[in-house]
Amino acid sequence: MKRYTQIEDASRPASDVSPWKSAGTLDLACVGYGLIVVAAVLVSYVLGVFEWLPYDPEHISFGLLNAPPGSAGHLLGTDFLGRDILSRLIVATQAYFLPGLVAIAISLVAGTVLGALAGYRGGGVEVLVTYFNNLVDSFPRLVLILLVIAVFRVDIYYIMIIVGVTGVPVVASLVAGKIAFLRQKHFIEAAHVLGLPAHVIVLKHILWHHCAPLLVIRATIGMGEVILIETSLSYLGFGVQEPTPSWGNMVQAGANYFFQGKFWPSTAPALAILFTILGFHLLGDGLNGILEDRSGK
Amino acid sequence: MKKHLVVGLSLLSVVVGTPPVSPAGPKNDGRPDGGTLGYGEYGRPSTLDPITSNEMVSLRITELVFNGLVGIDAKQEIVPELAERWEASKDGRGYTFYLRKDVVWHARDGEEARPFTADDVVFTYKIMMHPKTTTPLKVRYEFIESVEKLTDHAVQFTLKRPILNALAKFSFKVIPKHGPANPIYLTREDPFVRQPIGTGPFVVKTITSDREVVLVANENYFKGRPHINRFISKPFADQNIMTQALMFNAIDMVVLVNPRDLPELQGDKRFVLQPYNALSYAFFGYNLRNSLLADKRVRQALAYAVNRQEVLDSFFNGQGTLVSGPFAPGSWAYNLDVRPLAFDPQKATALLRQAGFAPGPDGTLQKDGKKLALSLKVPIEKESEAVKRVVLAFQNYLKNIGVAIKVEFKEWQAWKESVFLEHDFDIIFASWVFDDSADISSLFHSAEIGAWKNNFGAYSNPEVDGLIVESKLTLDHEKRRTINRKLHAILAEEAPYTFLWTLTNYSGYHKKVRRVAIHPYKFFSFADEWFIPVADQK
Repeated sequence: MKRYTQIEDASRPASDVSPWKSAGTLDLACVGYGLIVVAAVLVSYVLGVFEWLPYDPEHISFGLLNAPPGSAGHLLGTDFLGRDILSRLIVATQAYFLPGLVAIAISLVAGTVLGALAGYRGGGVEVLVTYFNNLVDSFPRLVLILLVIAVFRVDIYYIMIIVGVTGVPVVASLVAGKIAFLRQKHFIEAAHVLGLPAHVIVLKHILWHHCAPLLVIRATIGMGEVILIETSLSYLGFGVQEPTPSWGNMVQAGANYFFQGKFWPSTAPALAILFTILGFHLLGDGLNGILEDRSGK
Repeated sequence: MKKHLVVGLSLLSVVVGTPPVSPAGPKNDGRPDGGTLGYGEYGRPSTLDPITSNEMVSLRITELVFNGLVGIDAKQEIVPELAERWEASKDGRGYTFYLRKDVVWHARDGEEARPFTADDVVFTYKIMMHPKTTTPLKVRYEFIESVEKLTDHAVQFTLKRPILNALAKFSFKVIPKHGPANPIYLTREDPFVRQPIGTGPFVVKTITSDREVVLVANENYFKGRPHINRFISKPFADQNIMTQALMFNAIDMVVLVNPRDLPELQGDKRFVLQPYNALSYAFFGYNLRNSLLADKRVRQALAYAVNRQEVLDSFFNGQGTLVSGPFAPGSWAYNLDVRPLAFDPQKATALLRQAGFAPGPDGTLQKDGKKLALSLKVPIEKESEAVKRVVLAFQNYLKNIGVAIKVEFKEWQAWKESVFLEHDFDIIFASWVFDDSADISSLFHSAEIGAWKNNFGAYSNPEVDGLIVESKLTLDHEKRRTINRKLHAILAEEAPYTFLWTLTNYSGYHKKVRRVAIHPYKFFSFADEWFIPVADQK
């Protein structure tokens, strides 16, 4: 056991100062903002699940179509069917949360496995994985999604499976590259010499100690992508279907009234999309700056 | 006989004045010639001829380019067009039309204009009825047995049996014998459908790369050269900007103003809003092949659960009338004694109880373990925004009585296939636009069940079949009215559709366009009389 510990120590980043202590202010600010966004999304999700909402998000008020913010207790106003925009914004996080996690899980798990195989084994396996990556990459993502919708039906989970699969090559090449780089290092050679089994080396010493930050960063950026893709699809009418709210279909429905001066039904979800995607990206970026750049040094 | 299925809303109402007949050349009525009128359209037409087209956009253009033997004026009276007079035989089976001798076809580039003769009329009828011709019109003219040219300017039609209002049916548009490339039958591949020539007040000049259709005045129009030099049909993929385009002077006219834009135009002195009423109505149609919907009580319950007046008032500013039965309001066949069903959710619930439904664990009604869950298929199309509001409100109303509706938006072609071909739907939302509102046979007669036929819901009732046939055969107008009133009452009670409303439509145009009269259904019938004062011609 002792020997293992020593090897683990050697496999850790050289400096024993926590990367958080030496992080730049900008990176910290990014991560801080990102964490606030993540917290807001989580809180919204919980509120939605337990239906702790100001109004029933699907309740139609015929007398209050496109009412401006503040009218009759609707903090952000109402939409084209008189439904409360704030409640719909909150519930809409459900549209992304689980489907988004599915997409991220698929791309991370499959990407890591393929990446590890390619990076650690090299040779024929690497060639195969590269071919697979090129194949998936050569299909435009939106076209593939529209194809699946046409063949099956409009369902957010189908869409997210495609998003997950098309996200595999990015993760796979990141992981493969990282492993190819680490394989040359002394601590891995040492582990080999000590006769550790390959799966222990890959899982513990490479993935757990050196790829975890990378995967977390990919996950945060992936969440941003999921929201963006759903928004694009909703604009084409293929995203989450009414009456279930999603930020994308809220923007789409509200846009019909934008030129009439009724800007709030589309502006509120548009801002939510903007700040949330920004949050996830900044979080990813900040984490990258703090964890990856350092450990790569 | 309905030819045009539209989504959302359609056309309608009041027109003033009949164009006076005057010789070719300028009209000499003291009004100026000149100017251009660009009008905004809901999408672009796939064909421009009167035979293969089946959409409102083309119908409006063919009205500018072609003429019928007879026309129908604002008062629904028959007036001479290509035929200057006619005779009906005593037995009611023979109709002889004497044609005008001063009519010429539009000239093709580099060709002489050819005169219009009886051969063209015979040709039009034959090509229209050819089995390989793509047209929704065939079923309308099956009552004609034969057509014969008597002289170059006289043509005789023989009917299979005398029918009521036969003359009105001869308003079909005549196309030239030298028009189509294939003289036997007409399909959408024929170059004629994109570059047609007719006898009407305007000539199809070009279709631009922006898919605008440019029409220019026919100098030789037999009713006198139209006043306005050019009509340009401008397609808008996004209806939301059409009113804006009008307000920023990119176009001069919108054929159908989106109801929600009405207040904006009303307040602007530069524009005129003109209402017109088409023979049309919107409805939810049910698929009776689904055993749940085969029960009349269920269909009635769905109608009682929806507050149609509230929907009409909120989403269409109350610009319309609720309908109670299968005929278009404003038609003589409409039975005003049948009242539209009231909004009564309790009654809806009671009816569903009677039909054996009880609330399930999730609040949705069920019977024998089968949930009352239905699919509502809606085409994504021009009026998508108003349509979306209506179907979501419908879904919400039905949720309140425990009926689960799954709304599926489908692309127009795919929607038509699943409704008319595969019959894979429970409910649809659509509108019928009529040009002869008294004939509902293609909608509810059991012989009209099948692929691409209009009785998409497979409604079948021997009594209704009998009445429809009787109504077609009778020659007594009063008797026919009585039969249609009875049909109206039965179909209102049987509820194969939830009949919704007919909307008052508004055309919006710049006030520089004068003397605008709009035909309720065909829109541009009187456009040759419209004019633009010299000062506004630019």
